[in-house]
Amino acid sequence: MAAVFQYGVARALSDPNLKLAIDRTTVTAERKRAAALADYPQFAAARERGTAIKDHVVANLDHYLEEFERNATASGAKVHWAADADEACRIVLGICREAGARRVTRVKSMLGEEIGLPHALEEAGIERVETDLAEHIVQLAGETPSHIVWPALHKTREQVSALFKAAHRVPHEADTVEAMVESARRELRDRFLSAEVGISGANFLIADSGAVCVVTNEGNAELTTTPPRVHVVTAGIEKLVPSIAHAFAMLRLLVRSATGADLTQYTTFHCGPKRPGDRDGPEEFHIVLVDNGRSRMLRDGLREMLRCIRCGACMNHCVVYRQIGGHAYGGTYPGPMGAVLTPALEGVDKARDLPHACTLNGRCQEVCPVSIPLPTLLRGWRDRSWKEGLVPRGVRSGLGLWRFAAERPWLYRLGTAAAVRAMRLFRRGGWIARMPFAGAWTRYRDLPAPAGRTFMEQLRDWERGR
Amino acid sequence: MSAREAVLGAVRAALGRPSPDPAAVAAEAGALLADPDAIRPSLPLPDPVAAFAARVVSPKVGATLDRIGDLQELPEAVRRYLAGHELPRELTLQPDPALRRLDWTGFELREAARPDEAVALGRARWGIAETGSLVFHSGPETAVLNHFLALHHLVALRAADVLPHLEDYAAVAGPAPRNLNLITGASGTTDIEGSYVRGAHGPAFLHVVLVGAPLP
Repeated sequence: MAAVFQYGVARALSDPNLKLAIDRTTVTAERKRAAALADYPQFAAARERGTAIKDHVVANLDHYLEEFERNATASGAKVHWAADADEACRIVLGICREAGARRVTRVKSMLGEEIGLPHALEEAGIERVETDLAEHIVQLAGETPSHIVWPALHKTREQVSALFKAAHRVPHEADTVEAMVESARRELRDRFLSAEVGISGANFLIADSGAVCVVTNEGNAELTTTPPRVHVVTAGIEKLVPSIAHAFAMLRLLVRSATGADLTQYTTFHCGPKRPGDRDGPEEFHIVLVDNGRSRMLRDGLREMLRCIRCGACMNHCVVYRQIGGHAYGGTYPGPMGAVLTPALEGVDKARDLPHACTLNGRCQEVCPVSIPLPTLLRGWRDRSWKEGLVPRGVRSGLGLWRFAAERPWLYRLGTAAAVRAMRLFRRGGWIARMPFAGAWTRYRDLPAPAGRTFMEQLRDWERGR
Repeated sequence: MSAREAVLGAVRAALGRPSPDPAAVAAEAGALLADPDAIRPSLPLPDPVAAFAARVVSPKVGATLDRIGDLQELPEAVRRYLAGHELPRELTLQPDPALRRLDWTGFELREAARPDEAVALGRARWGIAETGSLVFHSGPETAVLNHFLALHHLVALRAADVLPHLEDYAAVAGPAPRNLNLITGASGTTDIEGSYVRGAHGPAFLHVVLVGAPLP
């Protein structure tokens, strides 16, 4: 995995388009979020309340799961439970087969990506139509999402244009973003209306009504979930809220943090299948409640991570994400929240590098709308990978050496005094361009030359002279 | 062991406590909704209808707005809109008795939107001033797809049905409809390089006709 991550980073850094594409979206997102919060002086209080709502739900998760199941069943929905990803996919495929589905439409859902649903549908020979514009782009490119809100954030408009021209039946002519969006609208319209099954995720599960809240700005969710005979929802068990009023409190935080809008254009609550007299809607409504590691996170000290509402603010503000993008992280979820989630979902032995690819600057925690202490959780993974002996021997012995010196101040001072003097031998005009043992750093950038003497030496002189 | 028991069992084991008392949970959940003004934006104008009207035409929602004194004037308002956009006088009309009984002479009306529908007209049950949202409940009088298939979405709303905040809707809504749609603007996307484009899959134009509001 270490090699895989290093390779992913190297590939990302050498991609001439990627940094440009990442900046175009994340810089806008950062600016819009800041403007939205400037108009919302109640944000700090709302954030505290949202954090308390999620903590309350997680502390009573068994109670809310049962309440939701009871009410959803009463509304005519069929509730399924899945302990892991394979089970969840089996359930969804079973529903699709039962419905005789040849074509399914899908609304972007990170849980769907997490459980490998796109792949499972393909393997089952069912045509999968991604309806979110970004997911459509990602599907045409044969890739995976690189951001949880903007899955195609890594693509430039030029790349999107080429993809659409190659794949669409009546592609755009003018190379404007407007024309490309229109091309996708044309391409997908009849697909929406001819699918046998529509699959969505859930932003919130409303315990006291059994309703499922799904938000989009494109309107693709309703076009996905209304025409087909069957609507399937896959949702993580942490998505619960007690009531719709609680959902509204969370939506204010989610949308501002994600896109900087105050509310998504389309905010829909689905409650059961088509009712007598209804003009449209699915005849069958299935909800698959997926654990896939969440109860383990609850047990293993990652309870705070279950607050996450998937807004993406942490990655938009992350200095590492903004250099390497989402794919380098290798898991379903990128950025700071992904660096905490991926080791939990895939095992710390497989994802040990992710918690280390972090400067601990704390920006993610600062912008998180539910105050998840991401840096603390990342440090927890570092701690665990050390205790489980997953840290490579070179790093372990280096740290051992450092510790030996750090516990003996006289030795530490002697060592640093020698080091700063030695380093100055390599300086050229205040900078070090090359030095033994520092090749990994100096290959890409110069190192500032240190002062002639250590801080402790200078302090001692200053105190003497006083 | 069923997956249900496995998941619930794992959650209970992780929480490490006996089943919670439902009354205590409900009380705690209720307390989390106390003092809603502390956690929601205050309206920029004291009158919810004025705040709603200002909000729907702001860039945050980006809709257009017309105001009429009485629902009887709706066909005329629709005629104005269609003429302004050089559209023929044909549309999908929501099967709502209040809309049906209006005088639609000279219009070609449809009950269900076609895949490439140009115009759909509906009536929202409520408006939310805080967000500029239009609230629809699916049912015999409201088809969900009509809100999404047309390029131009026209919506009539009685001024008396404008509520200040989202929580006010929760208080008056009653039992959950099959679909509750909160519509806050036209369909849009920022999926290509973060630049905002309208008419992604749903309507590219949203036009609100506020009924019964005194004309400014």
